[in-house]
Amino acid sequence: MTNPPQQMTQQNEQKLSQRQFFFIIVQTQIGVGVLSVPYELHSVAKQDSWISLLLGAVAIQVLLVGIWFVAKNFPHDTLFTMNDKMFTKWVGRPLSILYIFYFIGVGTLIILLFSRMISIWVLPNTPLWVMALLMVTVCMYMVGGGLLVLGRLYTMLSFLLVFLLCLIIFSTKETHIMYLFPMLETGWGKIFAGINKAIFSFFGFIVSLVIFSKVEGTNKQKLKTIVMAHWFVTLFYLFTVFASFTFFSTSELPLVPEPVLYMLKTFSLPIIARIDLFFISIWVINVATSFATYLYLSSLGLSDLFKRHSQNQWIVVVGICVFSISIYIGLDMSKIETFNKVVTYSGYIFSLTLPLIMVPVSYLRKKKDKGGAS
Amino acid sequence: MVGIFLFIRGKLRLGDANMGIFTRFFRNNRDKLADRHMSEPSNEKERPSSKKLSENVKYILDAFHQSNDLKIRVLKKGDAALLYFESLAEHEKIHEKIFAPIEMGHTEDVFHLPNAKQTNDLEEVVRTLLRGHAIYMEEGKKEISQFSVTSSFGRTPEEPQNERVVRGAHDGFVENMMTNINLVRKRVEHRDLTIKYFKLGKKTNTNVAVVYMDGIADPMIVQEIETRLHSLDSDMIHSPGHIEEFIEDKSNSPFPQMLNTERPDRVAANLVEGRVAIMAEGSPTTLIAPATFFMFYQAPDDYNMRWFTGTFVRLIRLFSFIIAVTLPAFYIAVVSFHFEVIPDELIIPVKASINEIAYPPILEALVMVIIIELIREAGIRLPAPIGQTIGIVGGLVIGDAVVRAGLVSNLMVIVVALTAIASFVVPSNELSTALRLLTFPLIILAGTIGFIGIVFGMLFIIIHLTRLQSFGVPYFAPLAPLSLVDLKDTFVRLPMYMMKLRPKDAHAVKPIALNPSREWKNRDEQNQSKQGSGGNDQPSSTDDTTK
Repeated sequence: MTNPPQQMTQQNEQKLSQRQFFFIIVQTQIGVGVLSVPYELHSVAKQDSWISLLLGAVAIQVLLVGIWFVAKNFPHDTLFTMNDKMFTKWVGRPLSILYIFYFIGVGTLIILLFSRMISIWVLPNTPLWVMALLMVTVCMYMVGGGLLVLGRLYTMLSFLLVFLLCLIIFSTKETHIMYLFPMLETGWGKIFAGINKAIFSFFGFIVSLVIFSKVEGTNKQKLKTIVMAHWFVTLFYLFTVFASFTFFSTSELPLVPEPVLYMLKTFSLPIIARIDLFFISIWVINVATSFATYLYLSSLGLSDLFKRHSQNQWIVVVGICVFSISIYIGLDMSKIETFNKVVTYSGYIFSLTLPLIMVPVSYLRKKKDKGGAS
Repeated sequence: MVGIFLFIRGKLRLGDANMGIFTRFFRNNRDKLADRHMSEPSNEKERPSSKKLSENVKYILDAFHQSNDLKIRVLKKGDAALLYFESLAEHEKIHEKIFAPIEMGHTEDVFHLPNAKQTNDLEEVVRTLLRGHAIYMEEGKKEISQFSVTSSFGRTPEEPQNERVVRGAHDGFVENMMTNINLVRKRVEHRDLTIKYFKLGKKTNTNVAVVYMDGIADPMIVQEIETRLHSLDSDMIHSPGHIEEFIEDKSNSPFPQMLNTERPDRVAANLVEGRVAIMAEGSPTTLIAPATFFMFYQAPDDYNMRWFTGTFVRLIRLFSFIIAVTLPAFYIAVVSFHFEVIPDELIIPVKASINEIAYPPILEALVMVIIIELIREAGIRLPAPIGQTIGIVGGLVIGDAVVRAGLVSNLMVIVVALTAIASFVVPSNELSTALRLLTFPLIILAGTIGFIGIVFGMLFIIIHLTRLQSFGVPYFAPLAPLSLVDLKDTFVRLPMYMMKLRPKDAHAVKPIALNPSREWKNRDEQNQSKQGSGGNDQPSSTDDTTK
């Protein structure tokens, strides 16, 4: 029995458990993409693109070790305070701001893609602002509870992933392994080009860099969790890709932008005729969890940047930003596509290039600090 | 009435004031072993009594603003007085134990009564009078004797109407707190059962007790509850429900954050789990904190059944939660947005049922749900026979007529009735009301954006439940934060001997609730494998080895 007041304060800064960390990464990565990943991949390397997905996963795995290496050098910092320490204030601050813009951009993209999907599949006449408003307010409420609430919530909501998997498994009874052949028909060149698309679907792992210091456990345990989460996501995607590639033939796939939904649409249970509607309803929750993470990341960045402890006002600020940008862009296909391109390519910079640059910088910085101290 | 009413004024001699310091010193010495009373030792003011009987009586009379039910009986020809509230004290006791001996001249006998207590403090006398004591004062003596002659009228501990069980204890709390504590102490016969009294309400001076198991309950939670009770500064406190709103974490939440119960067995079980109970004088309801969402789905009956049945009933109850909250919303979403979800065979009957209704489904649903609430509220306070009539008129007549008149569809009546039944399955009245309240926003969401609206609504509720805390304990435990071990008593009810650990959400200091208790099973198996001399009932396996 320790003295009570101390424990009370500890509760506020209670760290995430490994399991919560795992599910935060998983839920952030599995989001809007699930429905369209098979189609996107297929557009490059046809039936062989699952190989691209695997290769992409391996590439990301290497990157994750790099991210881990960076994060472990700063055991008490988030990404934003790390930037200050690594690149000095003059470079670090603008970099953090750019990161915040990136996160806001991804959040907006999620809202747009989500609203577009809902308007295509479920509610064609509902205006964008209704969907955006609902998603943004619910997620603001979610994020307002703090990281710990996010961790708890994501862990609990992850049983829905099992549900999604079950629905997909249900539809695999009409699959044809034949559709996967001939293998390597498109050639390795196309497969490597497909890696490009595969990596898109994994963006979101950057969350592990930002909240690394807020997780309890040794560095090794954390690395294990990050790697496990990554391969869990990979398997999940691989499973969806396999299911849709074996259900639709190579010539059919370019016609179905959301193969998983089309696949489920063909089946009906005795009680429920349209399983795809249920799938999409559960998918909404996965979208909400990914969006909430980006909302959290950007508001965390803002509160770190302006040294204000209350994150809640920044959540509102970011929420309003995301809402207005998404209303500004609207549901126009071409505009969304352009925006999508902008965000994904900036993803290359912020999720791939910058972490790779950080690896040597953080190492040098640490070495220098040690030298300075001794 | 035999009492002689007298205002004794200026009749008695002058007392000497010099004795004051000396007696106070003397009394302080004696307080080393003092009687303990309900009131906590606080900074209540003191007023030393005087030697003059008339002054003392006047002080007391003024303190009670000449209240008429304060009786003064003058004894010994004006040299002594007995004061008590005729509304609080028991006449027979006074007559037998005090009045008679004094009249007979055996005044000393009275002071040796076991419930007698001496004091020099008039303020204390004022307080004890309110507690139902009788006061005896004599001319020329500073000592005032107090006798506990409280009368109490109480129900017998009957089974609470709203928490009946099929099997198990059939007693319940009553309005008298001492009886309630007695019921708990009888069930938890252990020295660690700690009870702390509080006086709440500046005008009502309600006795409130905080009950917990020292060494099991988290001292931080106990302290937190005490702090919150201390900071409660209100004129009136009349029941735990009243206290609840003052000390709960978030009052703007539909979900109750403390468990209300009138069952001593339930309180005892929760105390041993490491939770804290709050009782109040004058109310049979006891609050249990910290509470979690799933505690409201546990009923004492579950533990008296076989665990298969117990689990089944639990699952039914949790299923009822989903029905109560989402069924009307789901139905509205289906008929107004997602007709394609209905299987082919059902489309014609459903369509036929709703085709001739003039109103949109959302309006139908809202009207029906409100009608059900009306019937419920009308029936709840009426005497049972009329209540039944209301049920029949409301349920059967209106339900039937409304369909025939073509105002509401058949299916909608079924849906709303099912929802109402499901909401009553919850063992806790508070939560059941909360669920019925949550139906409305979901109906509206479903009526405007269909399934997606329901998903957002449910997500919002789940987020709210996850964010909610009861005395620093996550409300939605063991789901969020997920604790797989604690699911043993949430969705399922595993056999009692498997509940080795106390639930984590109670923050119990001592986590282990039971040690392996079915060792004899191993022994039996060993015996069988050894093929020992059968028939002898050996008490333990050690005997086997010595043999």
